[in-house]
Amino acid sequence: MKNLIKYEFRKTWGTKLIILGITAFAELAFLVSLYLDKEKYNGLSILALTFLAIGGIIFIGIQSILTMHQDMNTKQGYMLYMTPNSCYRILGGKVIENGLSIFVAGAFFFALGALDVTLLLGHYGQLGELKKMLDEFLRQLRMEVPLDGRLFALLTLNFLCSWLATVITAYFADVIATCLLNGKKYNGWVSLLIFIALSWAMAYLQQVCTERLVWDARLIWNAVIALGCSAVMYVATAALMERHLSV
Amino acid sequence: MLKSEAVTRMFGSKTAVDQVSMTLEKGHIYAMLGPNGSGKTTWMKMAAGLCKPTSGRILFEGEPVGVCSRASIAYMSTEPYFYNWMSLKDVGRYYQDFFADYSGQRYAELLRSFELEESLKVKTLSSGMMAKAKIAVTLARDAKVWMLDEPFNGIDLVARDRIKSAIIESAQPDKLLIMSSHLVEEMEAIADRAIFLRNGQLIKEADIETERTENGCSIADEYRRIYGAQGGTEA
Repeated sequence: MKNLIKYEFRKTWGTKLIILGITAFAELAFLVSLYLDKEKYNGLSILALTFLAIGGIIFIGIQSILTMHQDMNTKQGYMLYMTPNSCYRILGGKVIENGLSIFVAGAFFFALGALDVTLLLGHYGQLGELKKMLDEFLRQLRMEVPLDGRLFALLTLNFLCSWLATVITAYFADVIATCLLNGKKYNGWVSLLIFIALSWAMAYLQQVCTERLVWDARLIWNAVIALGCSAVMYVATAALMERHLSV
Repeated sequence: MLKSEAVTRMFGSKTAVDQVSMTLEKGHIYAMLGPNGSGKTTWMKMAAGLCKPTSGRILFEGEPVGVCSRASIAYMSTEPYFYNWMSLKDVGRYYQDFFADYSGQRYAELLRSFELEESLKVKTLSSGMMAKAKIAVTLARDAKVWMLDEPFNGIDLVARDRIKSAIIESAQPDKLLIMSSHLVEEMEAIADRAIFLRNGQLIKEADIETERTENGCSIADEYRRIYGAQGGTEA
């Protein structure tokens, strides 16, 4: 398993390095503009960092889906599927590598965000006032959600778990297209519809199960349900591959 | 050692392999012969566990081929399949990481004999260099079964001789070697048994020496006799 994870990482590390490099550049721009009091550039770099955090994590997932597709549909897949590993292990390697990448990237961007917000609050004291105003505004809307680190940590966790579940659902839809619908007309569209239907079903399940809960419990249970759906999707995908996949 | 029981593989409505039953024994080198589209590659891929039969099964030492058999069966596809980001050294490391029967020393020796540097990047290899690299890494495994699909494709005469030597060195009484090629005369010099496939069906299994001594015909003659009628000119 260790080797499977290692080579999955090796296949995608180039783009991860690029994301890291661009992030380092944007962070440097943020720090310099903060130091020089250039509010316009400061705002732009915050925007870039926010975009990179969300876009980078989404891209890591999309790249994993593309790699999975390539491994099933090109001759390079022989390298993977001729090794003495079951499809459960091969898919497990992909899920673990992608899950780790998503969560490490999420933790990294969260820590970076926390650091930058602290620096911003330290530099522009009036931002503390702005936060108080937002808290008051939310209270008037009867949304008892405190704008604090815990909220953002839970939101991040929820986003990462849901995104991982979405990636594994995409694996499942792609495996259906490759194994069961290969050579059939509109197989890409059918697998896309399957992906949309399963994603909708997961979102519906999250809503139904958590609608009566308070905000923090809701976010935690949403993440738990996403992880549960990921596990179910993983088993279903690996079982399909084990039985039907020909590369 | 390897038994094919009524194996059929269909791609849509096309039958690539049709009810192929045969038993391949250790201690022999089999030449799998037939024109393009005769089912050689598909059968090998099924025996390597890369492709599932539509019906029938292939047994390796009495068990259906699958995860376990992949540890003992070394398959070399005719198409390039190494990851583009790899160097030949990375290819060796990859095999080292996944196959217990792999020998880095044998790989280095074979690369040297084929005049290939380990530092070469896969994406820069010519088709001949790629073919040699595939053979080197496949034969660097001390597998029980080797399956080489078109090992002489795109390879010059001198390199072909080196490959033949490497293949003969690898052949042992407890090993099974299966090769497919269009170069029938080349195969005759290495193999001792021949399997003729046509349109996915097994036409004939023959002992090359028996054909020569008892029937007075070479494998190339037999190839012409079998495929000549359908205009086959691949010998």
